[in-house]
Amino acid sequence: MANTIMSSSKTLITSPPTPNPKSPPPQPTTLPIIPITKPQFRLSTKSIAAVAAAVVSATPLPSLAEEFEKAQLFDFDLTLPIIAAEFLFLMFALDKLYYSPLGNFMDKRDAEIKEKLSSVKDTSSEVKQLEEQAAAVMRAARAEIAAALGKMKKETAAEVDAKLAEGRKKVEAELQEALANLEKQKADTIKSLDSQIAALSQEIVNKVLPVN
Amino acid sequence: MNVLSCSINTLNGLYDLSGVEVGQHFYWKIGGFQVHGQVLITSWVVIAILLGSATLAVRNPQTIPTGGQNFFEYVLEFIRDVSKTQIGEEYGPWVPFIGTMFLFIFVSNWSGALLPWKIIQLPHGELAAPTNDINTTVALALLTSVAYFYAGLTKKGLGYFGKYIQPTPILLPINILEDFTKPLSLSFRLFGNILADELVVVVLVSLVPSVVPIPVMFLGLFTSGIQALIFATLAAAYIGESMEGHH
Repeated sequence: MANTIMSSSKTLITSPPTPNPKSPPPQPTTLPIIPITKPQFRLSTKSIAAVAAAVVSATPLPSLAEEFEKAQLFDFDLTLPIIAAEFLFLMFALDKLYYSPLGNFMDKRDAEIKEKLSSVKDTSSEVKQLEEQAAAVMRAARAEIAAALGKMKKETAAEVDAKLAEGRKKVEAELQEALANLEKQKADTIKSLDSQIAALSQEIVNKVLPVN
Repeated sequence: MNVLSCSINTLNGLYDLSGVEVGQHFYWKIGGFQVHGQVLITSWVVIAILLGSATLAVRNPQTIPTGGQNFFEYVLEFIRDVSKTQIGEEYGPWVPFIGTMFLFIFVSNWSGALLPWKIIQLPHGELAAPTNDINTTVALALLTSVAYFYAGLTKKGLGYFGKYIQPTPILLPINILEDFTKPLSLSFRLFGNILADELVVVVLVSLVPSVVPIPVMFLGLFTSGIQALIFATLAAAYIGESMEGHH
C-alpha cells in the first residue's frame, strides 16, 4: 500500500527505468493474467491483486510507476499559483467584508462603552453636587419655617396677652364697681341702723327709766 | 472456480462503492498548463461559503449582537487573540492574513469531512478537501514564507538579514536551512494529516461500513480543526519571530 503510493508519485522517484529486458512494457495488455482495465489506482481487491501479482512477478518499481503514471500524489502544476492567487483574493475580500468592518465596529462599540462608563463616573460627582444643593434647599426651607413659626408664636402670644390684659381690666372694673356698690350698701345699712339704734336706745331708756 | 470469481466480482462491486482514489486528478488545461480541476472547484465552494456567510452575518452590525454576528465576532476575537499572542502589539495589519489562513484551511478541512462531495461524479479523480492536494498546502506555506520575509523586511529593512548570524555566524547554514524547512514542514504537515485522515475514513468505511468509522470521523473533524489552528498559529509565530528585535 505504502509502496504503491510512493511509487505512484512520479516526482519522488528519480531513478530512470532500469533497462531490464525481462520487465514487461508499461502497456497493461502485456499482462494477460491480470486485466487492468483502467490505469486508475483504486483500493479494490482487483487492483490489490494486480499490484501483488505485479510485485510478485519481479517487476521493478519504476515500470510500475509508469503504469500508474496518472496517479500522482506530488503533482505540482498551475494549481499552486492559482490557489495562491485565490487565497490573496479571499484575504482582501474578507478584509473588506469581514475583518475591517466588523473589527472597526467592535472597536467603536468598545470605545463607546468605555466612554459611557467614564461618563457614569462623572455623573456621580454631579449627583453629589445635586445632593448638596438639595440639602442646602432643605436647610433654607427649614430655617424659613422656623422663622415663620417663631413669628407666628410671637404674634399669637401678643394677641393672647392683649386679650388677657383686656379681660383683667374688665374684671377689675367689675370688681371695683361691685366693691363700690358694696360700700354704698354698707353705708346705707349703717345709716339706717344708726337711726334705728337711736330709736331703740330711746325706747330702752324709756322702758328702764320710768318717768313719772 | 466459477463461484470464486463470482464472489470476487460481488466483492469488487462492494469495494468499488467505497473505492479511494489517491493521486487521481481531474485535469484541466489552461494555456498549455495542467490544473487540478477538483481542487479549484472545491476551493471555489469554500471561498463562496466564507464570503457568503461573512457577508450575511456582518451586513448590518447591531450594537447588541445576535446569532451569526455573535459567532463572527467570536471568530474575529479568536483570530485577533491568536495574532496578538504570536505577533505582539503590532498584530493589527496581520489579522487578515492569519484569519484568512485559519478560516480557509478550517473550512476546507471540514468541507472535506462534512460535505458529501463524493455524490458529484467527476470523469477522473474525485472531489475532496482542497487541502487534500499538495498544491494547496504548498501555496499556503509559500505565502507564509513571503509574508514573514515581508514582515521582517518592512520592519527592520536589510537589517533583517542580520538574524541569520544570530547568535553566532556558525549557525548561518542552519538559519538559512530554516527558511526551507519552515514551508516544507507547514505544507507537509497539513497535507499529510488531511490526506491520512480521509484515507483512514475511506479504508475503515470499506472494511466496516457502519458505526465503526464514526469515532474516526469525529477524530478527523478534531484533527482538521487542530491542523487549521496549528497552521495559522505557526504562520503568526513566524511573522512575529521575524518582526521581533534581536538584541
